[in-house]
Amino acid sequence: MKGILFAFLGGAFITLQGVANSRISQGIGTWQAATITQLTGFIMALLILLVVRDGNWQGYKQVKPLYLSGGALAAVIIFGNVTAIQQIGVTFTISAVLIAQLCLTLLIESNGWFGLAKRKMRLPQFIGIGMMITGVLILKF
Amino acid sequence: MIAGLLLALISGSLVGLQNIFNRKVNERMGSWATTALVLGMGFAASLTFGLIFEGKRMLPLHNMQPWYSFSGLIGVGVVICLVQGVRLLGPTYAVSIVLTSQLGFALLWDSLGWFGLDKIPFTYNQLIGVLVIVGGILVFKFGSERENRNFAATS
Repeated sequence: MKGILFAFLGGAFITLQGVANSRISQGIGTWQAATITQLTGFIMALLILLVVRDGNWQGYKQVKPLYLSGGALAAVIIFGNVTAIQQIGVTFTISAVLIAQLCLTLLIESNGWFGLAKRKMRLPQFIGIGMMITGVLILKF
Repeated sequence: MIAGLLLALISGSLVGLQNIFNRKVNERMGSWATTALVLGMGFAASLTFGLIFEGKRMLPLHNMQPWYSFSGLIGVGVVICLVQGVRLLGPTYAVSIVLTSQLGFALLWDSLGWFGLDKIPFTYNQLIGVLVIVGGILVFKFGSERENRNFAATS
């Protein structure tokens, strides 16, 4: 039950984040919104890290630089997300984001790129993505 | 509309890519060190892009309001909830609930138009669309989990 509540709130927060970013970018600009919100988040995460000490900073030596720099993608992600929400609304944006996200993950996992264990694409995954695209079409028309 | 849709698709693909990179970092550094690193990188990249595209106009924040900076804490809430959700439920259940809740709140937000976003009136088409998408997510997540388990059992 507690797990369900966490997952439910997690989803709510992700949507809230997109909406808040859109609102803030109307006030001060999109790059500014992305810069400020991530700076506060960064400081908070750093403070938590200092308190809980679950982390292993030295671990970064064992990770490829490409993977370490993944966070930088967020600049483009936030810019795209915010602009899309302003143009086509929250529901349509999030639906499209989720479909693209699942498709790309599926593509990467089925090819075993980035050293991931290869997972075969299976029928339910195609049906699932087909249903999601159908849902988006229903949403729009 | 096409531009908005394209941007959303690009964003989504990058989210997928970033999740995979973050997973790799997480294995070695733990979730809070990973979160701090990811947000720090995102901050640096956003600042850089802002300075490239807007130059000096980037810095004077005329309409800045205090709550803007606090909204960055939402991201920290996301990490706490996702880590705990996955720990308690396992990834398949947790991610299915997260995605469903994301869409549910999106629909709620569009129809209420809070925060000065354009209000998109609620219609049953939208509700049915979201339900079909959620159905698709469940088939995607649970269908493949069952198949993989069968695969593991037979191989």
